[in-house]
Amino acid sequence: MAKKTGMAKRDARSTAIAATIFLFPAVVLLIVYMVYPIIDTFLISRLKWNGFYTAEKINVGWENWTTLINDPLFWNAFLHNVILMVCSILIQIPLGMALATFLDAGGKKFNIFKIIWFLPYLMSSVAVGFLFYYLLATNGGLISGFATLLSGKRTMVDLMGSSPQALYAVIGVIAWQYTPFYMVYFIAGYSNIDTSLYEAAVIDGANRRQYIFKVAIPLLGPIFKTACTMSLIGSLKYFDLIWNMTQGGPSGGTELMATYMYKMSFQKFNMGYGSAIAGGMFILITVIALLFQKVFVVKEDY
Amino acid sequence: MKKLVAVILAVLMVFTAASVLAEGGKNIPELTKEPMTILLWDIATEGLGKKVQEDAVNRFMEAYPNIKVEQVHQQNDTYKSQLQIALSAKEGQPDMYIHWGGGPMAEYYKSGCVNDITELFNTYDHPDFIDAAVAQSSYDGKILSIPFGGLSGCDIFYNKDVFAAAGIEAVPTTIAELEECCEKLKAAGYYPFSLANLPRWTGSMYYMYLVARHSGNAEFDAAYDGTGSFTSPAFIYAGEKIQEWVNKGYFNEGFNSMAPDNNDDRALLIQGAAGMMLHGSWQVSGIKNDDEEFYNESLGTFRFPIDEEAQAAGVPQNVEIGTAIGNGFSFNCWLDPEHTQVDEEKLKACYVLATQFYNDDIYNAAQVEGGGTPSIKGFDKTDDPNLKVVIDTFFNASNVQLWYDQYLPASVTEVHKDMMGELFGLTKTPEEVGQAQDEAMAKAREE
Repeated sequence: MAKKTGMAKRDARSTAIAATIFLFPAVVLLIVYMVYPIIDTFLISRLKWNGFYTAEKINVGWENWTTLINDPLFWNAFLHNVILMVCSILIQIPLGMALATFLDAGGKKFNIFKIIWFLPYLMSSVAVGFLFYYLLATNGGLISGFATLLSGKRTMVDLMGSSPQALYAVIGVIAWQYTPFYMVYFIAGYSNIDTSLYEAAVIDGANRRQYIFKVAIPLLGPIFKTACTMSLIGSLKYFDLIWNMTQGGPSGGTELMATYMYKMSFQKFNMGYGSAIAGGMFILITVIALLFQKVFVVKEDY
Repeated sequence: MKKLVAVILAVLMVFTAASVLAEGGKNIPELTKEPMTILLWDIATEGLGKKVQEDAVNRFMEAYPNIKVEQVHQQNDTYKSQLQIALSAKEGQPDMYIHWGGGPMAEYYKSGCVNDITELFNTYDHPDFIDAAVAQSSYDGKILSIPFGGLSGCDIFYNKDVFAAAGIEAVPTTIAELEECCEKLKAAGYYPFSLANLPRWTGSMYYMYLVARHSGNAEFDAAYDGTGSFTSPAFIYAGEKIQEWVNKGYFNEGFNSMAPDNNDDRALLIQGAAGMMLHGSWQVSGIKNDDEEFYNESLGTFRFPIDEEAQAAGVPQNVEIGTAIGNGFSFNCWLDPEHTQVDEEKLKACYVLATQFYNDDIYNAAQVEGGGTPSIKGFDKTDDPNLKVVIDTFFNASNVQLWYDQYLPASVTEVHKDMMGELFGLTKTPEEVGQAQDEAMAKAREE
């Protein structure tokens, strides 16, 4: 066993001190804004409490949780989250990849597309919500306008007011908003591929298509999986656009777990049950994300 | 000797009276000379409301330079949740805040976030509020808030040009006539009613009025306290009538996904696509602002028609829907975070601000100018023909039923609104709608 010299010891100690100093702010922020709220959520979920500091807090044990497990509205919302998740992964990621491939092949002269296609992601969800509220409006909206034009008589299409159309319409809007994000993500992936690989493929006589399908896309595998995981988690905790467009309506047709939680906590003054929903969301999302990682993400080495 | 005492007493009384008169004849509490800060939450983010309310606060601060009022304007749509978050914290709670009365006010009070001001109200001066406004500011026999938003009725606004084009000569006075009128409008190619039902309280107006016309207040009160049910005849009648009207195409398409906050419903009426709109009386100033020419030339107003059959059976036909206070201020002044000791000094200051600066002559004049009607006696006259219908309807009411979505406990309100979506969307029957509301009401009563 090699004995550490005084210098090495000093090195180790200063590394430890530096690490502590540098990690301290991050750890404090994590504890204050992540760990504590999550623990507190679970504590509140065992209370019957309307959310006011001075109001009475009654410990009801697991009552909120048993209600949650038997609450058809919650599972209905969860089902919508799963539909949103599947559709998001199936629409946003292939589309983002296709756009990225197109831009990668085109190089600098397609920069204008890059900018235009990225715009939706830069808009706030509230703005997107308003934009599509008017675009999809039954009266005077674009869809109704086209339907009137094509059929030759006044036709009203009530997309947002009927189930299940409303859910799919919203999924379309969400795809419009988030596809650019995955596009940029894949562009970054493409630019990370070493040019020597491209040159080697060309020297070996590969054409552009063969390069993309046989070399580039397989190399994007890990990025693809990370993108899926992000989309999965994002879809399961989605809130803002739905809230702005439908508030979970019509008749719960677009209700998600997060909108249901919000309604319970802040509109029905039932903070305990709202926290139980949040806790349920936390558990469900963690389990699904871990399962996904386990099944699809295998450590690979190129 | 007795005479002397009496004289002294009389002299003293004159002096006291004189000192009161010196303050402008007002009996208001004397406020502290120490520096004080009042945190006030309202929803006056824009327009006339903001100007008038900021003006009231500024006049107060001029009169009491040692008191600083921090006025925080919250967005209407997110106000309730913002308030709840603020009240869930130990510190930084607003000292006075706006609300709409009804179920939430009771909830705030029961949670210890409202001062009981019955004593202040009975001791000191305040505007001569109409009885309905005082009633609506009270809960459990205690006065909990000072109204300042003005009253709102609920009436049918109609487009006179559209009525003329459809050959309708007189406004309907019975529900049968209203239906006839709808048929005529439909035949002439108009939507009879313009409705934006995304937030559901707009559809609820039809439901509330049909129930009120069919049973007065009797069946709603019974359903509320548990002696009756939301499946009793008036509720079933209202539900069936609404679904019949939906099926007959009396409402514009897509009503369940349209938002009144964007004024989509008002637009249909002004553009002449729809003939009528049942709505709150704030539409009067809204329409006037949007299109003054249309307002002057083409807008008409009538009260919700009567139910002849019910009238024959002796049901009063003057139970109206609306709010007598619009908005009220409740006070949340305490010395400790647990809210066990009242901060009397601050409470008095808040009371003076709400009763003497909000609700004073300048404030009320501005309200009237903007098309509002203060909930104070003596404001029941107007030259505006539309406002006249609103005010006459309101002041001739035997009872003004506060909007269900503000009257009911918060948890029931949400169920009620969901059910209005289902009822108008034809996805639930009137019985199912009633049962869901009964269930929610029973649960709320247990708590």
